[in-house]
Amino acid sequence: MRTNKLKTAAAIFLLALLAVPLYFTSTFVLHMFTLVFFYIALTAAWNIPAFGGKFSLGHAAFFGLGGYTASILYVKLGISPFIGVVAGTFVAMVGGVILSFPLIRLKGPFFTLASIAFAEVLRMVAVDWRALTNGSVGINIPFRPSWLNLTFTSGAPFYYIALGLALLVIALAWWIRSSSLGYHLRAAAADEDAARALGINTAKAHFLGLMWSSGLTGMIAVFYVFYNYVLEPGTAFSMDLFSLQPAMNGIIGGMGTVWGPVVGAIIMTPLGEFLRFYLGTIQQGLNFVVYGLMLIAVVNFVPGGIVSLIEPWFKKKKSGDSSAADN
Amino acid sequence: MDDLLVVKDLTKNFGGLAAVSEVSFEVRRGEILGLIGPNGAGKTTLFNLISGLLASDRGSIKLEGEDLTKKPPYKRSAMGVGRTFQVVRPFDMTVLENVMVPIFAHYKTSREAKEKAFEILKMVRMDKLADKMPANLTLAQRKRIEVARALATKPKLLLLDEVLAGLNPTEVAENLPLIRQVRDSGVTILFIEHLMDAMMAISERVLVMDQGALIACGTPDEVTSDQCVITAYLGEEVPGC
Repeated sequence: MRTNKLKTAAAIFLLALLAVPLYFTSTFVLHMFTLVFFYIALTAAWNIPAFGGKFSLGHAAFFGLGGYTASILYVKLGISPFIGVVAGTFVAMVGGVILSFPLIRLKGPFFTLASIAFAEVLRMVAVDWRALTNGSVGINIPFRPSWLNLTFTSGAPFYYIALGLALLVIALAWWIRSSSLGYHLRAAAADEDAARALGINTAKAHFLGLMWSSGLTGMIAVFYVFYNYVLEPGTAFSMDLFSLQPAMNGIIGGMGTVWGPVVGAIIMTPLGEFLRFYLGTIQQGLNFVVYGLMLIAVVNFVPGGIVSLIEPWFKKKKSGDSSAADN
Repeated sequence: MDDLLVVKDLTKNFGGLAAVSEVSFEVRRGEILGLIGPNGAGKTTLFNLISGLLASDRGSIKLEGEDLTKKPPYKRSAMGVGRTFQVVRPFDMTVLENVMVPIFAHYKTSREAKEKAFEILKMVRMDKLADKMPANLTLAQRKRIEVARALATKPKLLLLDEVLAGLNPTEVAENLPLIRQVRDSGVTILFIEHLMDAMMAISERVLVMDQGALIACGTPDEVTSDQCVITAYLGEEVPGC
């Protein structure tokens, strides 16, 4: 019975989310929601390799690859962003193939360091390869409103696109985690040797996890870039925005779980905007001090992330449900 | 009886230390073969070489005539080499899910894997604890999960690394018949154990290692009366050994 209640609650919540653009016309509210959805999607995609215990701080690489691919195709060659999404996803996955070499060979912090270097190298390539990327000036997406150009006069379409992306990536993450790939990744995270001795090709599992993660990140990036009309190396390959932020959301929400990224992004995105706005004006960088303190607090006191606090409550509900069914 | 596993001149050096040196033996199909030796004799290293977690420097390992020596661990597992670990390291998921992990190699859907895992848990009498987290179980129970997980890979040869160590006498008495039961289900067993009583009670043959070398091989009685073995364990000076 209670699971049914939970399902009903989820359905009502979803309907309410669908109705938001109808009742809130404030661009700020819509923008905040859209941003939260984008970050839920980005964090859930970042989190897939984390099922296998791999901690990346280089996902900006996939973001930049996806975003640049689609915008270069659109601005320089006039190719629709809908084809750009496919191309961007593919190019980001090629980036994933390259990062899979250190992924498979390096453990723990050494892989993390390699991932940072990877994103930084790509950022510098984007700065210097002016013929292709316009260098530091960046690429502006011309304002030509049309569905085909993924350009709109109101904020509502992107609200729905971002919501759709968030739901899609959560669903995929859930599916991956409960499939054989998910079990193999979780086994590898717990004990790489034991997993290998049990017949698991852990290298392949890590590789497939990164393929999903990089492809999805590239895909999300295309929509994000068209939402913002502009990209330049400093933002497209931004360590802060697309490497650290998803990782922060993941750690604070609960790394390696399905719902952790959702909880993390819902809490951290508005908070991040708020802190940047209020504290950033008092003293530049003060917002990061608060970030740092939060990170230390969570890692020390709730290492499983905020979902680990909520989860037992849900579990109780579920077991209550099964005993009710027995009666 | 035919030979399931044939190991020939297997050698592994760690720097200047010969952890396993020129070890040759065979495991007969359907037997329970014990492996004993003082601490540091190279028993676990030998297991790591057979299961593929370590690459050997020289020598060959053949399972049913097929060469395993250069194969990665997951392929060896698929060919029929299963193992447990001395230090039990269950994955951080429920008992049932632990056993489901290796089953996914054979069954694609979660439901089929669940059913199969449950069957195996029944065999090791852990089915009642299927939904528990391993961290909340006793060592004896966690060792059973290790065995169940290894059985889930459908091994022809099962390498058991001290599945009885650290258990109290009651638990040993409970877990010991399990080894025989697994063998009777058609799995050949090579096992490391320090509990001599248990070892002698269930193994048909025993291998003895010391300082990386195989120093004796035979029935439990033959081995315990072997002068070289006594020397290895007690350190006596025996001329002509």
